[in-house]
Amino acid sequence: MASSDETPAPMPRSGGGSTEATPGRAMGIGQKMMDKSAQMLQSLKPVRQTQQHVCTFSLYSHDFTRQIETHYYVTRLNQDFLQCPVFDSDSPNARLIGVEYIVSERIFEALPPEEQMLWHSHAFEIKSGLWTNPRVPGMIQKVELENLVKSYGKFWCTWQVDRGDPLPLGAPCLMMSPRSENFGMMKPELIKIRDAKYGFSREEIKESRAGIVEPDKTNPQADYWIRAGGGFALDVEAVDMKVRAAFP
Amino acid sequence: MATTGTPEAAKIPGEPTKTGTSLVETATGAIQGFAPINKIHQHLCGYHFYMHDMTRQVEAHHYCAHQNEEMRQCLIYDSQDADARLIGIEYIVSENLFMTLPDSEKPLWHSHEYEVKSGLLFMPGVPGPVQRQDLEKVAKTYGKTFHFWQIDKGDGLPLGVPQIMGAFTRDGQLYPEIAHGLEEKYGVSMEKEREKREYITGPEHGIHPLANGKGKGLKLELREVDCKQPVESVARVFV
Repeated sequence: MASSDETPAPMPRSGGGSTEATPGRAMGIGQKMMDKSAQMLQSLKPVRQTQQHVCTFSLYSHDFTRQIETHYYVTRLNQDFLQCPVFDSDSPNARLIGVEYIVSERIFEALPPEEQMLWHSHAFEIKSGLWTNPRVPGMIQKVELENLVKSYGKFWCTWQVDRGDPLPLGAPCLMMSPRSENFGMMKPELIKIRDAKYGFSREEIKESRAGIVEPDKTNPQADYWIRAGGGFALDVEAVDMKVRAAFP
Repeated sequence: MATTGTPEAAKIPGEPTKTGTSLVETATGAIQGFAPINKIHQHLCGYHFYMHDMTRQVEAHHYCAHQNEEMRQCLIYDSQDADARLIGIEYIVSENLFMTLPDSEKPLWHSHEYEVKSGLLFMPGVPGPVQRQDLEKVAKTYGKTFHFWQIDKGDGLPLGVPQIMGAFTRDGQLYPEIAHGLEEKYGVSMEKEREKREYITGPEHGIHPLANGKGKGLKLELREVDCKQPVESVARVFV
């Protein structure tokens, strides 16, 4: 089994209702009440550190024809490192589709080359207005974007919802960021849909970012597909497990 | 030698957050809604091991949201603190949903019966009787877990490829010193919980033979592939 499998093995769709909905019974009152009471007792600190919502786009590194709108809920751990759960929408029933990590240029430069290959740049995405912060005025966005325009990201996608998977199937996929050249170009219709949803004006966004200084060039080890003409897939291999007791 | 829990170890490289940056982010946070994150309502503490190496065992703090009664999606952190590192993801499905998975998919999922019945999995801060109401359900579920950050190796950053993780399935697998460590840290007694959870049962149809890697180890291997590119060969002008 590989993350690059075109179609996962068949499974029944959720009976009735939208094909978008995750299969399974709706929440009963009992469960809801249990959740509420537990929620009041637990502090949930790690997930109360979200500082911004980013809406942007990503592409599958093994198939650039597959492009998705992505929603990052960003937590900054220090000046050079951010961690982001990634969802397929900003609504309460959004599906958790992966994790992106973001590092500063400084940190990225110090990574070994074989690690750098797994990362993508953000400069084009930000300058071109693909990367957005819904509902945040341009002025406030600008400060953060000046930081992030030189950053690099690593995004593993664990649920291929665009393929119609009703549940997360297979191995994670390495994702890439949009670029201006060949494989990395975004389908205009996807951008239009997103911009219409949030009332974005392409022209206004690009203008507001004109003053943001992008790096002279992004590190050529990132966006590996540009040099290599190819991406990556993950294969699931059965191996002998190192054990300390019988399994399972 | 046990590789235990969360090393104090490698700090994430980087400067402390500058004041200007954090002010901006506070402003942003006040304006935007974070609906998918706000749906996370539950903290479960447990332990995972790497599906190719049971001797590497990692403390895993699950922060879970229900998609519906039968499916949860969880963020996994290395601690319950504000500066916790996001190290992985777990999806949890009911037995019914597990049965709908293709047979080739089932081995990537692990059972939860032992973790629950042994007292290893618990909800910090929640009284026993309340916890057990939910854990009765969890015992019948299956989970699929990937870790992206091998903190037990001392990695200061999430390096390399994702790792499939497994869950404990019988006595003798978890290092005793880890169990003791958990009990001290969180003021729980696994022994006492085990007694109180004796009534809890696992999946109705028993643990599926294809789950838990079919009893074998699993590893993810990276492979280069040719790019599949957009059909139009004419360069599009990006406006």
